[in-house]
Amino acid sequence: MTAVRVPAAPRPMPAMRWHLRAAARLLRLELRRNAMPWMLPVAVCLFWITAYRKAMAMPPLWSLRAASMQSGALLAFVCPVAGVAAWMGSREARRHITDLVTITARPRWARQLTTWAAATCWAMLGYLGCVAALYGVTARQAAWGGPPWWPVAVVAASLLALSALGFAAGALVPSRFTAPVAAIAAFFALALSTQLIQGSQSYWQVSPIVAAPWDIGPDTGRGVFYPYLPDLPIAQVMFLTGLTMAVLGATALPKGPGVGWLRRPAAAVTAAGLLAAGTAVALAGTGKLDAHGMIAIPAVHDAASDRPLRYTPVCSHAAIPVCLNPAYASYLPAAATALAPVLNEMAGLPGAPVRVSQTATTYRQGTGNSVSVGLAGPPISGTPPVFHLLLPDQLPGPPMTTGGLATALRSSAGPAIVASVIGDGPSASPAQQAVAAALSMSAGLPQPSLPGPVIRRRSTTVPLPASVRSAAGRFAALPSPARHAWLVRHLAALRAGQITLAQLP
Amino acid sequence: MTAGTAREVPGAAAADRRAWPAWPPRAGTRLLRLHAISRRVPAAIAAIAACAIGLRIALIGHWDSYGALQLPLVFEAGSAAAVTITTASPLGEPERVTGRRLPFLRLATTLTLTAAAAGALTAAGTGAHLAGGTLDVLRNVAGMTGIGLLCAAVLGGGLAWVGPTGYLVVGAYGLYTQWHGPALTTPWIWPARPPHDAGAAICATLVFTIGIVITSVRGARDPVGE
Repeated sequence: MTAVRVPAAPRPMPAMRWHLRAAARLLRLELRRNAMPWMLPVAVCLFWITAYRKAMAMPPLWSLRAASMQSGALLAFVCPVAGVAAWMGSREARRHITDLVTITARPRWARQLTTWAAATCWAMLGYLGCVAALYGVTARQAAWGGPPWWPVAVVAASLLALSALGFAAGALVPSRFTAPVAAIAAFFALALSTQLIQGSQSYWQVSPIVAAPWDIGPDTGRGVFYPYLPDLPIAQVMFLTGLTMAVLGATALPKGPGVGWLRRPAAAVTAAGLLAAGTAVALAGTGKLDAHGMIAIPAVHDAASDRPLRYTPVCSHAAIPVCLNPAYASYLPAAATALAPVLNEMAGLPGAPVRVSQTATTYRQGTGNSVSVGLAGPPISGTPPVFHLLLPDQLPGPPMTTGGLATALRSSAGPAIVASVIGDGPSASPAQQAVAAALSMSAGLPQPSLPGPVIRRRSTTVPLPASVRSAAGRFAALPSPARHAWLVRHLAALRAGQITLAQLP
Repeated sequence: MTAGTAREVPGAAAADRRAWPAWPPRAGTRLLRLHAISRRVPAAIAAIAACAIGLRIALIGHWDSYGALQLPLVFEAGSAAAVTITTASPLGEPERVTGRRLPFLRLATTLTLTAAAAGALTAAGTGAHLAGGTLDVLRNVAGMTGIGLLCAAVLGGGLAWVGPTGYLVVGAYGLYTQWHGPALTTPWIWPARPPHDAGAAICATLVFTIGIVITSVRGARDPVGE
């Protein structure tokens, strides 16, 4: 009868905790034996080419770079993610271990989900690293605003969906050819789906590559004067999440050992996913181009998003200051320098603007894919008068360098400022035309011309008559103070059309 | 006894070498057939044919400038991926050790399939507006196949498709930058260059040559069990 010290029996682990630990261990194993990490360098290189390099060539505006990142990152990750997911999905059949793993304790769906989750985790890690690099650099360069996260969410949801689609394809058709077919088909569907977009009310806008109204292209003003509208990204994330659920649920539907009890919940998940995806497509079809250049979907639209953002403009120090949105602060010196000659001519004249203030662009969807872009009202308005300025970067077209923007601003806004003060236009008197031409000459602006006949849909201009040019040359030759003094005295009469060419000094 | 045996060995080897030219032609054909089957050449030919048919069907549709330029590239990448997958060997080390004619078989397989891919895609574009024309197809298919062959040497035949599909994105983006800068004008991104561009043709040929030499001589890097 010797007393033996027996160690206490370990307490049984709760079943749920045990399951979680087993799942975590399986996921860890899958993470170590996944092909996705090998593909991440390829994806990162593609991201650098298609997204980072392009974004860095753009002005440091959050919304502009985020929209560019969305489409670029998607293109960079689509082939590696869809292809490798298909490769991993076909692994069991490719290695002839299907029978071997069928007899394991885990149901097939759980094994497959773990493999898919591991591949997706690696893809997500690579993607988020790329986004961190791009957003980090932009945060150091941007003068105002914060990062829009919806484009990041759309690409993340896209990676989930692409990974699920590729994985399902690999599991369904386990062949060496499945992976490249999945990669190329995914690229084809994404890159060329935009061919089908017609106007702002298109169901195809649900494609995650659409980061903004497709017909407009890069727009620096989006999300700067009005909040970034998440309507379309919400529909896209909903579509992609639904698609992911449907595809993952469908992988459990085929008959097989250990999946009998799973088929009903899997069918429910698949149906819910399809419902969500279908609803999202329908929502995208109801989208409309709003006045601020974004897609508004009535069912998910928040009216608070229509209120303009508050900001304190940054202004130059001059007689007529140039004021810009703080997001464009880096453009202020160039814009002020470009407009300084013409603003110096205008300063102190009756009716001259007290400041030049940057304003938001207004958009209107035309027929088909046409969109009209411009100012909402007249260029000069208010008491005291304010000239409303659109930077050339706010209009459709590729983003400009600061030097290019200054040149374009001088040629577009300069004559517009002169015309708004002098009253030059199609119905202007010859004296108004001559004074406008003289002021443009002395400010180094392009010479104004008369609108000519429309020939084969191309508007033409004709040079000013010789008498007007002669009077303009005479007026421009005056010393600047004398010219200014004459304008102060006679501008009201000039605008009323009561001055003739002969009366010009 | 030992010396006599030793003397007989060179004689037997010489007899074996003499027997080489007298190898029956049917055996050669059989070897070719077996090699092709082991490399899934019939499936690759079917994939190339599917790409050609897909291109033909796609060309019937109306595409804008981007689409018209990028469309052939997608199918060229598909064909190149199909060619590169045939570098994967299911036999591995035993075949490398015993197969004396293996480099020639690999070379013949790759060249034949590349020519078939270029020919099939060109034929698919006959009578339709195929952006870039025959020269473009030939250059792009050869170049992307070369990239795939290099990937096969590094990653293995099974994952060799990563090269053509990754380069597809680069090429399509290069074409896109012709409208929206900053433009990619390096000849190493040959799909973005005109069909008659000598630099682009040289780059594509160089990549194809290096790829085919490496995979013919050394074969793809294939892990056992795949």
